[in-house]
Amino acid sequence: MNKIYIAEDDRSIREELLQLLKNAGYAAEALTDFQDPAEKIISAAPDLILLDINLPEINGELILKEIRRKIDVPVIMVTSRNSATDEALSLSYGADDYITKPYDPTILLLRISAVLKRSSNKASNRTYNGLRINPAKGALISEKSEIILTKNEMIIFQLLLDRQGEIVTRDELMTALWDNNEFINDNALTVNISRLRVKLSDAGQENAIETRKKQGYILK
Amino acid sequence: MKITEFFKDRIFLYISYAAALGIILLFMNAFHADAQLIIISAAIFIIMIIVTEAWEIIRKKTFYDDLKNKLDGLDRKYLISEMTEIPDFAEGKFICEIFRETNKSMCENIAAYRRNSAEFREFIEMWVHEIKLPVSSLLLMCHNNRSEINEKFLEQLIRIDGYTDTVLYYSRSENAEKDYLIKEISLQRTVSNIAVKNREILLLHNISLQTEGLEKNVLTDGKWLEFILGQLISNSIKFISPLREPEILISAEEFSDKTILKYRDNGIGIPESDIPYIFEKSFTGENGRNGTRSTGMGLYIVKNLCSRLGHKISVNSQKGRFTEFEIIFEKNDFYKFD
Repeated sequence: MNKIYIAEDDRSIREELLQLLKNAGYAAEALTDFQDPAEKIISAAPDLILLDINLPEINGELILKEIRRKIDVPVIMVTSRNSATDEALSLSYGADDYITKPYDPTILLLRISAVLKRSSNKASNRTYNGLRINPAKGALISEKSEIILTKNEMIIFQLLLDRQGEIVTRDELMTALWDNNEFINDNALTVNISRLRVKLSDAGQENAIETRKKQGYILK
Repeated sequence: MKITEFFKDRIFLYISYAAALGIILLFMNAFHADAQLIIISAAIFIIMIIVTEAWEIIRKKTFYDDLKNKLDGLDRKYLISEMTEIPDFAEGKFICEIFRETNKSMCENIAAYRRNSAEFREFIEMWVHEIKLPVSSLLLMCHNNRSEINEKFLEQLIRIDGYTDTVLYYSRSENAEKDYLIKEISLQRTVSNIAVKNREILLLHNISLQTEGLEKNVLTDGKWLEFILGQLISNSIKFISPLREPEILISAEEFSDKTILKYRDNGIGIPESDIPYIFEKSFTGENGRNGTRSTGMGLYIVKNLCSRLGHKISVNSQKGRFTEFEIIFEKNDFYKFD
């Protein structure tokens, strides 16, 4: 289980963030006392740090510099000032990503999993029941045939495959699509999923995607 | 200053000169003064008056003409006191003194207002920054406790967030200080940011958002452009046509000297008679009065921000069919630095 450390001074946001991350299956811890924050963060040995740029007394950017000097752990900066300079600064100090308040919680989770994936270099599952996945080509390749998926179908299939055997909600699928510049609506998602089902059963994978009413989808 | 005006102004003086000369001549005649003496005295009197009057005219005319010329030539009339040279006659010196005094007092007054408005603006920026905290917190709460009622809360929260941004950008757009940062921005990333930010509300209205050819960079301030697009999206949502499935298309076209960003929706459109006024402050038009309430500020701020960034914005619409905005980004090597 990945451990995420939160440095955020607003108590209410901090508690909701802890809840959000725990619900999403992470171990989450937060800074509650802002004396010597860098030391406390480092000693907690997290897998990822969510760092607010405006902390009391000490600037988030300075903490980031201090942490970076000692350990190499991915950091996502949270800014609330609406200016371009903050973003440029946080990246130049070595943050892996930044997100502006108020953020969409699903986007935050998506960014966290993207940064964690990048840092652990965990290659996503490349085969499914004998079908080899070629994301560059957008194709599922079996010994007999090759099925071409559209960009949307590929995004959906990869997310389902990454979490094979788990329920993936429509909202999560939607988030993944939107984060990849595919701003589709609800109807289009339904259409994409049914097309993906047809293509999978053409490849001999009948009923691969199961619908769980009011919950989401599972790739078996 | 016209010469006739000068004479008219001194008519009383001339009458009294004439009267004095008449009386002197009358007395001289009564004392049986020599005719030649009378003529010479009268001539000297008249010549002296002409000379002094001519001297007076030249002095004043040069001063006042100069003053008038400078005033006409000045873009900011209040700078006149800095521009006038102090003349050598008392009246002129007095006027210059008054100019300087009133100008100084006006500058002090303006400085006080400027301080006030800067303080007010700082307060607004700080306030917006603070209000984002409870909004963030509420967004997270809605997410952590998913239910139907929270979906509704979420929609209202997004509205609150949108309105706060309007306050922030109104205060920024009205301010004379330069607080934007122009650099190369990816249109793809900007559109993606704003789409994701409005995701819940777009999906709630089942709007499909399509993009085309956005793999281009433009010179602008990313945050300001995001706000501009956000305003256009919130207008599209307000004016959805009930007759068809709502669609928004954002596309870009690049030319040698400019890049054009096109934003098109298939909403109810704008009546032709309203089109020339939609960027004006507080203009609500037919659409604003029917149905959704509108403050008439959104597009005014959009236009203001565009012109401050040096972009041109225009609109094309057909009532009942579509509305299309075009933002033109000029290409200017001057801003480019690596």
